[in-house]
Amino acid sequence: MAAPAAERRTPSFQLGPQRVVQMDGDQLVRVGARPGLLRYIRNIWAFRHFLQYDAHARTSSQNNLDSLGRFWMVMNPLLQAAVYFFIFGYILETHRGIVNFIGYLIIGVLTFRFIQGAVVSGSNSIAGNQQVVQAFNFPRACLPISSTVRELFATVPTFVVMAVLVYFIGDYQIADMQRADITLDWKWLMFFPAIFLGLLVMTGLSLILARVVANYNDVKHLISIGVRLWFYASAVIFSVDRFADRGHDWIITVMHYNPAFCILDIIRDAWLYDGLGEPFRWIVLGGWAVGALSIGMIIFWRGEETYGRER
Amino acid sequence: MSTPTSPYNPRRANGPARHDATGEGLDLDPEAFDDGFGFEAIEEIAWDDQPLTQSAPQIETADPARVSVAVDCASKIYRIRSGSEHKNSTKRIGRHLQRALGSGWSEIPALDELSFVVNRGETVGVIGTNGSGKSTLMKLLTGKIRPSSGEVYATSTPVMLGVNAALVRQISGRENIKLGCLAMGLSPKEAKQRFDMIVEISGLHNALDMPLKAYSSGMASRLQFAIATSVDPDILLIDEALNTGDAQFRARTKKRLDEVRAQAGCVFLVSHSLGTIKQMCTRVIWIEQGRMLADGDPEWVCAQYQEYTDHKSNGRMRAAQIVYDRTQLKLSPIQVEFTDGTRPTKAG
Repeated sequence: MAAPAAERRTPSFQLGPQRVVQMDGDQLVRVGARPGLLRYIRNIWAFRHFLQYDAHARTSSQNNLDSLGRFWMVMNPLLQAAVYFFIFGYILETHRGIVNFIGYLIIGVLTFRFIQGAVVSGSNSIAGNQQVVQAFNFPRACLPISSTVRELFATVPTFVVMAVLVYFIGDYQIADMQRADITLDWKWLMFFPAIFLGLLVMTGLSLILARVVANYNDVKHLISIGVRLWFYASAVIFSVDRFADRGHDWIITVMHYNPAFCILDIIRDAWLYDGLGEPFRWIVLGGWAVGALSIGMIIFWRGEETYGRER
Repeated sequence: MSTPTSPYNPRRANGPARHDATGEGLDLDPEAFDDGFGFEAIEEIAWDDQPLTQSAPQIETADPARVSVAVDCASKIYRIRSGSEHKNSTKRIGRHLQRALGSGWSEIPALDELSFVVNRGETVGVIGTNGSGKSTLMKLLTGKIRPSSGEVYATSTPVMLGVNAALVRQISGRENIKLGCLAMGLSPKEAKQRFDMIVEISGLHNALDMPLKAYSSGMASRLQFAIATSVDPDILLIDEALNTGDAQFRARTKKRLDEVRAQAGCVFLVSHSLGTIKQMCTRVIWIEQGRMLADGDPEWVCAQYQEYTDHKSNGRMRAAQIVYDRTQLKLSPIQVEFTDGTRPTKAG
């Protein structure tokens, strides 16, 4: 904040007379000041077209260095699912105790890919866009939000691939795998609210991490480690029950309060096991969505004036 | 950057006292006198912080309806990450640690505290040699960075016209125009309305669908300028770098710039071209080595600046320093005071 007027020192030497200009500051505003939270959110809403166009333009240009272009948006998740299946399903045999293991694995790997992508790109959205931040005056929260939305746009083909794969080969049996019929019905629509709540959680986390990374670049290195840990704590490639019989009950508690696990579990329940998702999962996920988004918004908003500076 | 390049140190009759306390001004070594007569007891007489010539400050009242921009003691020290900072570190262990890690903070003072008030209707030229702090002042005015001390107040957020508008390299010129317009806060409808004008100014009719990475640097800066001028700000900052491009482009930009300038309430113009400054400005601020040296009549300030740069470019450092000191002596600095309780805090 501004130093009180009495403490100002005069320049070291000068002959011209010292002048004091008195004025009424009612007409003026402080340049670059951060608006109040409500006004800030309204500003973000006013910039929604920018946000949406930014996400769209960058998604559509994402793969234009590759000769196969957007084909990779489909191919990448397919290959990734195949690799995980080969290592964990075929060699390490983590499929024990899981019904429809192939569908389970596909949903886990591909959905977590979206979660991971959203958090990683969101956390880098301020530090990696310094030019845009310095050139234009818009609420900075647009950038983390836009990068999360961009990740959603980019993942749409993946989700289509995921649905097709789960429907056709989700219940395929290899060796001693257990099988239950997969039927396509309205319960599959539970996917949309689950992903929407997930998107809110990701946005909140992105806002928090974007501020932290903008202030301390070192955190970037920890994020990839953290995401890896999160991956193993979300039951992406094995079942939660594996831990139950080994006395590691605390891991199960951690998982049950883990938003990523909740998303995966709801989608699996809806697509593979003909359910609507356990109510407890919805409650935890909803709580995370509201909590992460509001806390993230406040944390990010408080740092609004610091993002443009040189690093 | 802010240290004078010449070893010349003018004798400042009313300059601040040096509190070295090493007896620099004495002809004799004070150690030799240390024979119990209490030489150290003699106190060095410190000069008054206020020079003797200082008269009581003149108090003026600014018309609040006319004030456009008020800069109140703003200064800027950049604090950036640097891999070679260990060379300046004084602590031995700290130095080795910083060298091993290859990281450290370096502090770069860019702008000393300066204050000025600009009224509506004024066109202010900002001059100074490279690295003197002009761009930093512009960044402070637009609110892109916060001053290290002091504040900048304005009636609305000043907008900078320059070639710094960010473009996204992967997407086409057409998409960049739309993105830029939306980033400046225009609605999609307004963006569509101004699209033709932007294309017209940039003159890039044939290259609109090429990705930006295929543009030459001249084409990119033309596009940036065209996007930047599509808004009509009340407080306008124009950067010198606009003078890029060929004659044809310059003629087109001049027309548009005149339009924007005509409707703006208050204009800042950063330029190295004294001709442009004298022609357009009603007032000139000269910033040198991070300090405000002069603020006033364009003819006089430009003459001083011309003399200073002439001396500098011919290697006459002492003469240049004399001009520097002489100009600064004539500066009558101002101090901004707000009547009780009206210091603005809210955002624009």
